[in-house]
Amino acid sequence: MTPEETSLLIPQYLSGQMTPAEKDAFEAELGTNAGLRLEVDELRSVWEGLGALSQEAPSPALRARFYQKLHDIQTGRHVVERQYAWWKPGLQGLVPQTILALAVFVLGTYVGRTNLDGRGSSTEEVKRLSTEVQGLRQTVALSLLDQQSATSRLEGISWSSRVERPEPGLVSALLTMVDHDPNTNVRLSALDALEKFAGDPTVRKALVDSLPRQDSPLVQIALIDALVRIRDRGAAGELRKLTGDAEANSSVRQRAQWGLERLSL
Amino acid sequence: MQTQTDNSLMKLVQAGDSAQLALLFERHHVGLFRYLLHLTSDRMLSEDLVQEVFLRVLKYTRSYDPSLSFRVWLYGMARNAYFDSLRKRRREVSTNGEMGEIASSEPMPEEISSSKQDAMFLREALMQLPEEKREVLVLSRFHELRYEEIARILKCEIGTVKVRVYRALKELREKFCELRGETLYDA
Repeated sequence: MTPEETSLLIPQYLSGQMTPAEKDAFEAELGTNAGLRLEVDELRSVWEGLGALSQEAPSPALRARFYQKLHDIQTGRHVVERQYAWWKPGLQGLVPQTILALAVFVLGTYVGRTNLDGRGSSTEEVKRLSTEVQGLRQTVALSLLDQQSATSRLEGISWSSRVERPEPGLVSALLTMVDHDPNTNVRLSALDALEKFAGDPTVRKALVDSLPRQDSPLVQIALIDALVRIRDRGAAGELRKLTGDAEANSSVRQRAQWGLERLSL
Repeated sequence: MQTQTDNSLMKLVQAGDSAQLALLFERHHVGLFRYLLHLTSDRMLSEDLVQEVFLRVLKYTRSYDPSLSFRVWLYGMARNAYFDSLRKRRREVSTNGEMGEIASSEPMPEEISSSKQDAMFLREALMQLPEEKREVLVLSRFHELRYEEIARILKCEIGTVKVRVYRALKELREKFCELRGETLYDA
């Protein structure tokens, strides 16, 4: 094997993709070849550095949008229909439509007033407007979360993920959904949205308490993952119970064990 | 209860049980998002593409060969979706006459610790790699795919993957050292 061919094996060696025989042969070469040793050390530092890079996660809205789309497909709703659903007349869409109209009115009033007064945008007004928009988002979210259709509730969750400082009512509605919503996809999306508010101890505790109440392995695993991500050591007790629960799904038990190990690090 | 494999779930999807796609989505959407984010450097676009890929899974369900790895098929589809979006964007750019900036999501604070700075340099070096090198490195390092699987996703020979991963790692180190202001004597 030429020196170049030996060097080509370095990433395979670092990633553990060699067979035992290949590894032995490569390590024997390493023992006698100082140049190769140096190159392995240099590339190892970059390889390990890559492994330590934090990986970004998608926003909760992705899950909500995907399940909404899947639900549309399963119920035979066409894409074209969905695009106009927001404007479709009927009681179900009436509340969000009114709120949207109100939001447009508030924005219009603001823009008109600043132009007429010639004052430009003062910091106080921008703050006030931002607060009003946040409030409107919460109202839209809450009204949609209360709808009978799972698609509307998913839309509500998507709206709630745009709220920066939620009122207790919104958090409480999302927590109720995680615990009781009949649709698994909605429960998963509500959980995603709540993770953003995990700085609140009440939310953390509610998520831990929710674990034994869940019957869907999918939601249980998502909950375990969320509790590990938010590093809630208070979840250790419930995770331990799950690992010893013979009736729990085997994947859930394994995930709970994994969660316990991650939380003890 | 036994955990169902990706392939067995995909067989159910093929048989018309589209609800099983939710399980496949749960297993793969985060990994797929990260792969696409490394290609696009755009969070919104990557999320759109993840959704697009799973919709393509449903659309092209018949083209899935159960004897092959679902993950390989999925990442191959993600790759196609990415190139399709790239072609679409190029058409838009040539029509509008302006190039959209690919924004870095990395903050640039004045004071950061050296380990954080190294991580920043490494991320930056990775983004500076030519796309074909960045892609093999991402698949190999972040998704722990074997060379055979990467070769099937990229539709090339295993030997090509082997050479590309090695060269990508070398070039990554060079760029990383450059960013840190170090001189390489062995380059």
